Amino acid sequence: MNLLDIRNLSIELVSGNKPILAVDRVSLCMKEGEVRGLVGESGSGKSLLAQAIVGVLDDKWQVDADRFHWRGTDLLRLSLEERKAIISKDVAMIFQEPMACLDPTTTIGEQLEEAVDSRQLSGYFWQKRQQRKAAAIKLLHKVGIKHHEFCIRSYPHQLTEALCQRVMIAIALATRPVLLIADEPTAAMESSNQGQIFRLLASLNQLKNMSILLISHDLENVTHWTNTITVMYSGQFVEAGTTEQIFNHPFHPYTRALVDSSPKANMLLPAKSRLMTLPGSIPILQHLPIGCRLGPRCPRAQQACVQAPKVKNHHGHQVSCHYSLKDTY
Amino acid sequence: MLVFIIRRLNLFFFTMLLLTLLTFSLSFLFPGDPLVNLSGQINATPQQLEQLKLAYKSDQGIMQQYFAYLSHLAEGDLGLSMASQTQITSEIINLLPATIELSLIALMLAMFVGIPLGFIAAVNHRKTADNIILSVAMLGYSVPVFWLGLVAILVFSIQLGWFPSAGQLSLVYEIEHVTGIQFIDILLSDSVYKWQAFRDASAHIVLPACVVATAPATIFIRLARSSMLAVLETHYIKAARAKGLTFRQIIFRHAVRNSLLQIIRHIGLQFANLVTIAMITEVIFSWPGIGRWLIESIYQRDYTGIQSGLLVLSTFIFIVHIVTDFIYAALNPLAREHNHGTS
Repeated sequence: MNLLDIRNLSIELVSGNKPILAVDRVSLCMKEGEVRGLVGESGSGKSLLAQAIVGVLDDKWQVDADRFHWRGTDLLRLSLEERKAIISKDVAMIFQEPMACLDPTTTIGEQLEEAVDSRQLSGYFWQKRQQRKAAAIKLLHKVGIKHHEFCIRSYPHQLTEALCQRVMIAIALATRPVLLIADEPTAAMESSNQGQIFRLLASLNQLKNMSILLISHDLENVTHWTNTITVMYSGQFVEAGTTEQIFNHPFHPYTRALVDSSPKANMLLPAKSRLMTLPGSIPILQHLPIGCRLGPRCPRAQQACVQAPKVKNHHGHQVSCHYSLKDTY
Repeated sequence: MLVFIIRRLNLFFFTMLLLTLLTFSLSFLFPGDPLVNLSGQINATPQQLEQLKLAYKSDQGIMQQYFAYLSHLAEGDLGLSMASQTQITSEIINLLPATIELSLIALMLAMFVGIPLGFIAAVNHRKTADNIILSVAMLGYSVPVFWLGLVAILVFSIQLGWFPSAGQLSLVYEIEHVTGIQFIDILLSDSVYKWQAFRDASAHIVLPACVVATAPATIFIRLARSSMLAVLETHYIKAARAKGLTFRQIIFRHAVRNSLLQIIRHIGLQFANLVTIAMITEVIFSWPGIGRWLIESIYQRDYTGIQSGLLVLSTFIFIVHIVTDFIYAALNPLAREHNHGTS
């Protein structure tokens, strides 16, 4: 049974005179214990999709989906409160700028303690206070922070960016989630700290069988840590498959371009030659092309591309393209 | 924190220096003899004038004159009032507490009404409650204070007869002058009619305090609303929602504290505005405060009074300013505690 099964999720920006379809019918499927990468350029709607899953989008965004199943229960049939209760119990999220995501006027300890699920506690309220404290310290140990007294007393601005991200992960672990959504957890971080955070996430995945949805704009960086990858472009679904399938045999011209643009993937590239890139840049939300949104930039685009392609499934390798590269391999 | 305190005290020192420079220069800018303007002795005999000349060193250079003026200020000698020929210092000691009382109570009133209303408006952003609160705030901000004061007297004291229209306390109560702040004096006194006097003083302060508080309260509504809206947009509120906290928990634990911090910074600024309004209101309600006294000395061309009133009121506003700065620093960990490693 799938952990998370989303079919044709659309997100519309309703402000202004004409609604803008920021995310256009994207499907996402996750299994238990899986690490899935969600890759795309900035502005391709990855963060929106993640925030829509957790349900923290503002009122100006309108979310529709054909199917939204969580461990077999259809969340679309439940009321808003029930859905929120299930999601906040089982799904946790960490964000891009950890320092901005911690309340600057509250100590780390308090923020950790309030995240601890009260269902894990027992006894009277004074006992619960002690248990909350103990649980907070335990959480800090789990994410590899040894000096917990020091950390608990600190305010967010007194810690480094990487420590703040660890605290964010600790807060996310407080509810013992089944799925952790990590929205570019290492953006604006040094590479040594990036490695630490990724290793921490990987160990959580292996030891606790926690599924992770890892959002990144950097395909190359993510491939070390993921089992499967979903690629998005400008709010549309591009391709999904195992990491090997995506990295070695991309079916979509966009994924091909992404892989080609990284020097690690094509070792055959002669020294000092130009890297392969697509012409142009990602379209802004006000001027989205019709049909396949990659159309104007795509080297393989033809007349049929003004119609949005249907998703085709080749042995678990899904691709959304009229002229996929499948036959070229 | 020590550096912070030294900085504020430094600022206080230099601002006071500039302020005294201004009042000192006023004595030259006002018509008449600078010496008479400074001392306020309009009917002085030639011998007395000679003595004054010595005391204020007006035959020496301008710097010596200024330092002589400063030493007079330091001794608490502000000269005589030109209108009544009494010591200004004693008049101010009698009058300033009433103004402090009125303006502080009005400030409290404005904060306790304005800030929660602003929060309610922000939480119900673009809904009926928000629109109602915003339009009331707009209305309250645009009503002129002298008109509001007169209408308040007309409705609440003449037609309805709920509150007295003038003064600080009914003449039947005899309260000893200790601190000058009426409520504290009443509580300190051992009169049998203490509690009746207390009730009477409360009834007297209701109308002027409400009139003074109206405009600042509307400003606080808008400040609170915009800072709450800004806080609700931040990432940490979103993260708190993702954490599974309820809306109530988010508002009371995170949003209120952060937006209050932004508002406290503005209280010092708003206080100057409030004191100006209080001065006009004191005239309308015959409140025995320094604002009414200052306006009267303007009418009577009491130059010494204008100088000293200016000095004292500005000092009061500035002290409140610095106190709010300290409160802000005490509440905000970002201003209070330095980053590790930066010290």
